[in-house]
Amino acid sequence: MGKIFDWIDAKFHVKAPHGGFLQRRLPEGLSYAYCLGGAAFTAYTILLFTGMLLSIYYVPSEHDAYSSILRIQHEVHLGWLIRGMHKWSATILIIFLIGHTLRVFISRAYRPPKELNWVVGVITMVSCFASGFTGYLLPWDQKAYWATEVGTSMAHTIPAIGTYVMYFVRGGIDVDGTTLIRFYSIHVHWLPLGMLALLWMHFHMIKRQGIKRPL
Amino acid sequence: MTPGRTAGTGPPEAAQHGKLGMERRDFLKILVQGILVLLSTLAAVTAAIFAYPARIRQKTVQFIDVSSEDELPGRGIKRVVYEESGRKSIVYLAREGDSYVAFSPVCTHLGCLVSYNRSQNRFLCPCHGGKYDASGRVIEGPPPLPLTRLPMKVEKGRVFVGFKV
Repeated sequence: MGKIFDWIDAKFHVKAPHGGFLQRRLPEGLSYAYCLGGAAFTAYTILLFTGMLLSIYYVPSEHDAYSSILRIQHEVHLGWLIRGMHKWSATILIIFLIGHTLRVFISRAYRPPKELNWVVGVITMVSCFASGFTGYLLPWDQKAYWATEVGTSMAHTIPAIGTYVMYFVRGGIDVDGTTLIRFYSIHVHWLPLGMLALLWMHFHMIKRQGIKRPL
Repeated sequence: MTPGRTAGTGPPEAAQHGKLGMERRDFLKILVQGILVLLSTLAAVTAAIFAYPARIRQKTVQFIDVSSEDELPGRGIKRVVYEESGRKSIVYLAREGDSYVAFSPVCTHLGCLVSYNRSQNRFLCPCHGGKYDASGRVIEGPPPLPLTRLPMKVEKGRVFVGFKV
């Protein structure tokens, strides 16, 4: 393995620029609370991988969405496992993410010069919540439908522009097939790619600024 | 700084060799690499199993004996009940000019079973009010397509209707 990687690295030169990150000195007194961000990232990669697998069989249409979910669950080899991993990793991601945010907040790691990383982290967290919300509609069952009906109707309460925001989110007056495709697109294209860019920024700022010394 | 907490870039002579003749650092490195290789192999195998189609077979038309030739309608439409592997099913046989056609009773909207109404000479769907005329064309309601015409043949005095299975 090492030889193959060394051969690739001889052309690609990926090892040297990351050496400083992977071999760096860490401050004293770090605890497992400092692993929560990494754990959340692991959940994210599992979600990305299982999500890409699920997209092989999922059909984002009004007519076929629910039956394709049933097919994944009961017919596709290991479909129940992949779908289960996707569902549970999503839950675990949110838990780790909240834990990580609390750790950063309590250890005051958001203070300058790391304030931009805090901002990037918050945008990532909001993207995760949005992923959860859009992904919840995709099974296209009663629970999914009414959760989205209620969730999107909240936009309606924004003064002046509320109605238009709701139309924008739903892609029409009601939650229907248009909403499903819209949410599918946001859930599998826009948010995962956006989060990838945000996480790249997040990790590079950590690389430049280091981990905050514990209190 | 305690050596345990810091990623040591210390001098090699300070390194402690264990029974394996290996530094703790190198052992951990190999362990982590091994776990990564194991996990990615597992993921690749799982993905391959998942992506491999669960149902690989050609859909073929299977002809089922539904009634005797004598029961074919002289004119109009006849509802025929037949039994196939212990389950009773329905098919509509109709005379069209000199030949016969078989209509599937499955509504093309959402799959409810239509019933033929003789006085109206229409196929009526009980679920969403779909109406088809005697030749299966949609007259009213949500069905997007006419009633499915099933392949059919008459052999040795028996009527066979074909289904895709």
